Amino acid sequence: MPLLEIRHVSKFFGGLAANSDVSFSVEQGTILGLIGPNGAGKTTLFNCITGFHPPDRGDIRFRGVRLNGLSPARICRLGLVRTWQKVRPLAKMTVLDNVMVGALSRARTLDAARTEALEQLRVVGLDRRAAALAGGLPIGERKKLEMARVLATRPELVLLDEVMGGLNPAESDEIIDLILVLKNAGLTQMVIEHDMRAIMRVSDRIVVLNSGEKLAEGTPAEVVENREVVTAYLGEAP
Amino acid sequence: MAPSRPDPVTSPDRSVAGRLLPFLPAALLVLFLALFPVAITKPYPLHMGVILFLAVLQGSAWNLIGGYAGQYSVGHAAYFGTGAYTAVMLLEYFHVAPWWSLPLAMLAAVAVALVIGSITFRLRGPYFVLASIAVAEIMRLAALHFRGLTRGAEGFVVADVPTLHVLGLQLDFAGKRPFYYLTLVLAVLAVTVSRLVRRSPLGYRLLAIREDQDAAHSLGISLSFNKNVALAISAALTGMAGAVFAGFSRFVDPSAAFGLDISVQMVLVCILGGIGTVEGPVIGAMLLVPLDEVLRNPRGLVTVGLLPAGSGLVDFIQRYLSQAHLLVYGLLIVVMILFAPDGVAGLVRRRAFRRRAEAPPAAAPAP
Amino acid sequence: MILFLQSVLSGVLVGGVYALIGIGLTLIFGVMRVINFAHGELVMLGMYATWILFTRLGWDPYLSIVVVAPLLFLWGAALQTAVINRMLGTLPQNQILLTIGLGLVMSNGVMLAFTSDYRILTTAYSSASFSLLGLSVSEPLLISFVITVAITAALVLFLLKTDTGQAIRATAQDREAAQLMGINVQRMSVLTFGLGAALAGTAGALVSPTYYIFPQVGSAFTLKAFVIVVLGGMGSVAGATLGGILIGVVESLAAVYVASGLKELVVFVLFLVLLLVKPSGLLGKTRA
Repeated sequence: MPLLEIRHVSKFFGGLAANSDVSFSVEQGTILGLIGPNGAGKTTLFNCITGFHPPDRGDIRFRGVRLNGLSPARICRLGLVRTWQKVRPLAKMTVLDNVMVGALSRARTLDAARTEALEQLRVVGLDRRAAALAGGLPIGERKKLEMARVLATRPELVLLDEVMGGLNPAESDEIIDLILVLKNAGLTQMVIEHDMRAIMRVSDRIVVLNSGEKLAEGTPAEVVENREVVTAYLGEAP
Repeated sequence: MAPSRPDPVTSPDRSVAGRLLPFLPAALLVLFLALFPVAITKPYPLHMGVILFLAVLQGSAWNLIGGYAGQYSVGHAAYFGTGAYTAVMLLEYFHVAPWWSLPLAMLAAVAVALVIGSITFRLRGPYFVLASIAVAEIMRLAALHFRGLTRGAEGFVVADVPTLHVLGLQLDFAGKRPFYYLTLVLAVLAVTVSRLVRRSPLGYRLLAIREDQDAAHSLGISLSFNKNVALAISAALTGMAGAVFAGFSRFVDPSAAFGLDISVQMVLVCILGGIGTVEGPVIGAMLLVPLDEVLRNPRGLVTVGLLPAGSGLVDFIQRYLSQAHLLVYGLLIVVMILFAPDGVAGLVRRRAFRRRAEAPPAAAPAP
Repeated sequence: MILFLQSVLSGVLVGGVYALIGIGLTLIFGVMRVINFAHGELVMLGMYATWILFTRLGWDPYLSIVVVAPLLFLWGAALQTAVINRMLGTLPQNQILLTIGLGLVMSNGVMLAFTSDYRILTTAYSSASFSLLGLSVSEPLLISFVITVAITAALVLFLLKTDTGQAIRATAQDREAAQLMGINVQRMSVLTFGLGAALAGTAGALVSPTYYIFPQVGSAFTLKAFVIVVLGGMGSVAGATLGGILIGVVESLAAVYVASGLKELVVFVLFLVLLLVKPSGLLGKTRA
């Protein structure tokens, strides 16, 4: 059974269909890339999956459990977390405290949370910055902080929403390496990304969304050859 | 690899001395306050002590939900008034002594809080503030209208508070001293609770909710549960303050119980001292209460011997500023929010942080 | 039945003035996203200004709008430039606390100047009424309603037809886009706050023949104004108009059918229900 199943999910805002009959699944231990032009409905789909708005139609199942209508907190405790397209550090708290907040979803005491948090900071490479205020970090470190924070919840599936947005190539490479390391450790990931190079490198499979609908699905090689995908991104071919 | 002083972030000092040392200044202060009435027996300073401790109690209580969780209730008088009226009505109608009515007043306030919380916590930011104000207003208007129950605008006059016989002691609540000690104990309790919460998993979750509610939600923090817990503790403490105040001032009416100025004062104490910190409400109370009293009752300065009788300053204040305490509240709010939103404690911390940032970095902890 | 119609009628007439207050508040929110908790105090200032002109110069309250409105406009513009403008970056919760503070300063400043004595402004027609279709119509209420309608119509025309009005609406819709189009959003904010204050002051002038005038009278108006604005939808002028009339009617009916002392309580309970059930209001689309 796939870890995550999206079945015929639709989400409407007013008259607009932000997601329209989207179906695909994510196998355990793999990385799924979710791409598409701006406004294709990728973040909306993440919001539906993580409980921020329930889908209007369709089913979302995680390890067989139906996620529709569950609260984000409940979904996190089931093992599914997300990062945010526009980073959301807990600004007035330290880097360590930020990650501890994530750890507290599993840990019972502050000491256990602190240990877990320090470990995750080490994994992402932010352990030297533990005492810094999250609000004062540069964008690259904020993205890493967000990853450390979700990792501290000991998830089975992480949704990464443009986690490389705004980063320079060196920083992006660090994130790519991190994603691959996590995959080796058994973590399942779904990645929204505009950076094609990164997507091609990390994804096992890619789903392409356009105007709310699923346009294509397949291995990176298959998707890149797909004419419709190319058109969607670049406009009509001459 | 010789470890220098341990970095408090990564490895808090676990030795007995290390754990007790930070409390020393506070312990000394409490000791001083406890011995104060032995030396000073005049009623006025003791009266001011009671008012001060009540302000610390209320400020710390508000801080739990307003400072830690970021839910700015400007209607906390709802819980204060519930506590006050519960205590007074239990005394008048059922002759329940205040020692029992105190915990009952707390329970009543918590019950009200859970109802209000379930209604208002769905609202965000300013809408929550508005709803909290509306709730306190509703209670004030209800207290005004349902005269049969609450004696309306006339209010309750507490005839006398029965003497408490405990541990062989006889505490006669006609004087100020027993109230002084009672409120001191409650103030210390509130600050202790405040600190315990701050350094607990609950505290972390509340701070996360304050910083970014959606992010906190996605990290497994149940918003309504945590907010309601904070509000329940906050309401319990506030209700206690109301009940004690009713016994102390011996008078309860709708404005004294549910008035907006009570709610505003609780918020102002925290804004002045430092919202979201443990020491903030204490500092804020120590600043606001004397200021308030000087404005309302400048002759008090003469009573405590700070100014000679017939002083021009006293006359000036009495003539022009005697009704000005709310005006000063308003000015303080405006000034603090514009120029020092983190209060006095915040200003001090910013200075300390800047100095620490400029100091050479400590040795990295051993791997 | 007559009683019902009577209450509805007086509710509508009073509601008109409420609407005026609500429109000012909703404009301020629409353009600046500021929740002005001192709005009732602006009404109160209008009442006092009218009272002063009446007692010192003998001016009729309705005529003194000609002076009171511009006066409050200037005051609002000054407040915006000196204080409100500085807080546009702070947390919304702090903003509302700040305006609460401003409200306290205004109401208590007035109290220091004029004492908290209740003032009454009695004109020849203060308690006059005439009969219309079997219903008793209060003269001052009717006059103020007519003036309100005229002012609202003028305001709507201003917002729809003039360049400045459209600039204000553009700023309310999308501040950044308006700025990119060359609109001086700072000036729009000042104008809007001044306009909101002028409308509030006018409302104060309109109700002064029929209300007690005292420094704390503003607070009742503030909360009610928020109910109206939330009901109609934050930022919607049409919504505030509708909301004002509705709240006037609800209050009037509550006074008759529930209890006179509870009429405000009913409005506030309605407010809570509204915030829970449909916080974006009947016509508006703001997230709560």
